[in-house]
Amino acid sequence: MVERQDFLNIPVVHMKLNSNMTVDQLIQQFKKSGSFGAGRLASACDVFEDMVRDKNCTVFLALAGAMVPAGLRTTIADLIRKRLIDALVSTGANMVHDLIEALGGRHYQGSWLVDDYLLYKYHIYRIYDVFVPEEDFVKTDQALIDMFEEIASKKEGKPLSTNELMSEIGKRLKDPNSIVRSAYESRVPIFLPAMRDSEFAYIHRVHQKRSIKESSLLVDAFKEVPELLDITSRSERLGMVVLGGGVPRNSVQHAALMTGKGLDYAVILTTDRPEPGGLSGSTIEETISWGKVKQKANKVMAIGDALISFPLMTAAVLERLGPGFHRKGNP
Amino acid sequence: MPKKAEEKRMCGNCRYHNAYEYPDKVFCFARFSNREKPVVSIFDSCNEWESKLQECYCLEEALAKRDKNPK
Repeated sequence: MVERQDFLNIPVVHMKLNSNMTVDQLIQQFKKSGSFGAGRLASACDVFEDMVRDKNCTVFLALAGAMVPAGLRTTIADLIRKRLIDALVSTGANMVHDLIEALGGRHYQGSWLVDDYLLYKYHIYRIYDVFVPEEDFVKTDQALIDMFEEIASKKEGKPLSTNELMSEIGKRLKDPNSIVRSAYESRVPIFLPAMRDSEFAYIHRVHQKRSIKESSLLVDAFKEVPELLDITSRSERLGMVVLGGGVPRNSVQHAALMTGKGLDYAVILTTDRPEPGGLSGSTIEETISWGKVKQKANKVMAIGDALISFPLMTAAVLERLGPGFHRKGNP
Repeated sequence: MPKKAEEKRMCGNCRYHNAYEYPDKVFCFARFSNREKPVVSIFDSCNEWESKLQECYCLEEALAKRDKNPK
């Protein structure tokens, strides 16, 4: 029986801020408040810290939404190099935007108030308030089509998984800030379960038009499934950090389910809501009903812009871990 | 769009053009697909030329630039 006093155990402690506080000190103030988004973000920091301190946990980052063009590229590449991420599951588009910068292009600060027809006339694409010049896409397409041709000729008709393709591309890059390059160097797999829903589809189409049919690059969308399951089945424990949701989130959750394990840790940072029934906004509790996340998992969902919450969470946890922290890769 | 840009057959008003070095050079995916040199002057044209309703500014700006600095 829950008694009245059980509801009144932990008082809200009002945040005390000062001029020289660190990110983690701010998060500790959030924790003392324990309320709304601040409380949830503080919990997310604790779950992420537990996840990366667990020596036998494989950490997945599920990446959706335009996080890379908006400025998280280097953060993610650094986390891969530090092995705070063991496997990346992403939308194709985020990796395309990583490659745009790896191959010399840029993203620009813009405005959501601009006239989009004017941008169209100037050959500029808009991602909310980030602008990308068309020529940076075109130059990336051109370079990747050349890479596709080279990889296809090396593979001689053997199909690749999306992970194998990312590794082949990473091998050919030089930019140390690239996610694809850092994953290649750190032997961190990158899975793109919805790869064709991105510029990669157009790149492959043009590559195919330029090639003799038999010699064009083959990517087998299902080949990554056993690769993912191999990781989840060899892992003692499973953790995921989700930015956004969508196909990447469910690919990780589903792999955890298919190996009959369920996730032990989950941090979901999203603005999506559960009421429309879409996966991105589905609560972690809903995920438990499927067996994708364990009932006793260390878990939290923080509603808010992941471009704000993820860097805050990462900075706080890096501060807690300290510069000497070393994590070996899993599994 | 000024009338002069619409009248002439140029890469800059062909449906296959993409910006490459705005506004002077365009990338032509039709040429690239045929393994021909894809980066061409916005004033060029070829047999694959297909008219497109000219909405973008690149040709207009390239013409203005050329008029300002004739070689």
